[in-house]
Amino acid sequence: MIAHVLAEGGGGVSVGEHPQWHILGLTINADTVISTSIAAVIVLAFGLYLAAKATSKVPSTLQIAFEAVTEQVERQVETNVGIRTAPFVVPLAISLFFFILIANWISILPHATEEYVRPPTADVNLTFAMSVFVMIMVWATGIRVQGKHYFGHFVQPYKAMLPLNIIEELVKPVTLSLRLFGNILAGTVMVSVLALMPAAVSWLPTSAWKLFDLFIGMLQALIFALLTIIYFGMAAGGQEGEGAH
Amino acid sequence: MSLYSVAAPGGGGGNLFLIPNATFFVELLIFLIVVGVIWRYVVPPVKRATAQRQEMVRRQIQESQQATKRLAEAEARYSAALAEARVEAAKIRESARADAQEIKDELREQAEHEVARIRERGAEQLATQREQVVRQLRGELGKLAVTLAGRIVGESVADDARRAGTVDRFLDELQGMAAPPSAPESVPQDNVAAQDRAVSQDSAAPEAGAPKNGTVKGAASVPHARRRR
Repeated sequence: MIAHVLAEGGGGVSVGEHPQWHILGLTINADTVISTSIAAVIVLAFGLYLAAKATSKVPSTLQIAFEAVTEQVERQVETNVGIRTAPFVVPLAISLFFFILIANWISILPHATEEYVRPPTADVNLTFAMSVFVMIMVWATGIRVQGKHYFGHFVQPYKAMLPLNIIEELVKPVTLSLRLFGNILAGTVMVSVLALMPAAVSWLPTSAWKLFDLFIGMLQALIFALLTIIYFGMAAGGQEGEGAH
Repeated sequence: MSLYSVAAPGGGGGNLFLIPNATFFVELLIFLIVVGVIWRYVVPPVKRATAQRQEMVRRQIQESQQATKRLAEAEARYSAALAEARVEAAKIRESARADAQEIKDELREQAEHEVARIRERGAEQLATQREQVVRQLRGELGKLAVTLAGRIVGESVADDARRAGTVDRFLDELQGMAAPPSAPESVPQDNVAAQDRAVSQDSAAPEAGAPKNGTVKGAASVPHARRRR
């Protein structure tokens, strides 16, 4: 049915279509930029409010939540990378988690046919931006920590594995970004499909789906942040016994 | 939707939504801003607060442990002091009992002393009274002696044997009177001696007074009687 609807093109469901700005010959997806900015403003507002209110006495619920995430991230970083090796991984992972979480949850309000604000993570531009930045940092960290030895892992365990290892390394940012993108895009497509039903009945499955979408949004944010830490860990000294430390 | 120029789907149904466009750079910029702000301004104060709270909690736990320890120590000291106080109290009670016994003994001894003293004084008083009586008697004795002497002289101065018998009898009487059965040995003897002397003096007095009565023989007879004793 979905395929049939999609095949109709001009029907109710459209995938990957964005209102666009054309500036200086560059094509920019306007809705993505706007929703990303909204998400960024929300995250930064929360973050700065939290920083201003941060107290060593009785913490607010927000601070407790933030501290819980921070603690989890620190533990993960400590076990995978070592906080001393890459101290910036902690704020990076925290930022990724909260930013992706808000970006995913921004689509909480459903319109009749689509969201008021489309989740920016349903656009590959944001997910690629994040994953490319992360992977550049990962590679830089690997080289900084291991030096020349970092490239040694490309010929492990055999030299014949070199092409596969290179592909694996290059695929990392792609999978990282497309996983997130696909999940969130699927959520929006689902809303569009459900919107094809008469409004009298579509509210129930849409509501149910939105609740599940919230869970997916949190899960994907978690996965993105966790994989980031793991990639850092692999780059900083994944091969045990090589004396990276 | 009408605000934007909607991109036409890729020709021939090929949708290029998997290919990033220039939005990538804008998104990257926004993301970097978010990361930068959280990195610089959000994480450090929150982590500082967390660390401070953890430090505070650790300190409180430590203090609580110390307080518990101090409490236990204080309790131990308290029970030790209590036990000591009990021992002390028992000791004091014991010594008080001993004191009481001592005082009782002392009082009893004192009372006994007192009794003995009073008894002694009574005895002394008795002795004194007796002495007084004796002295008084002695004083009367002189008179008696004079009376006797006068009687004897008056009755019969010529009869020597009778006169001697009378004197002897009198002296015996005196002796029997001066020696009570309970009195010490020395006292009666002294008394007797003193009385003897007194008698001789007393008997000498009539001798001096004899010429007044006009009897010379009587004066000569008295030394004779003394000699006989």
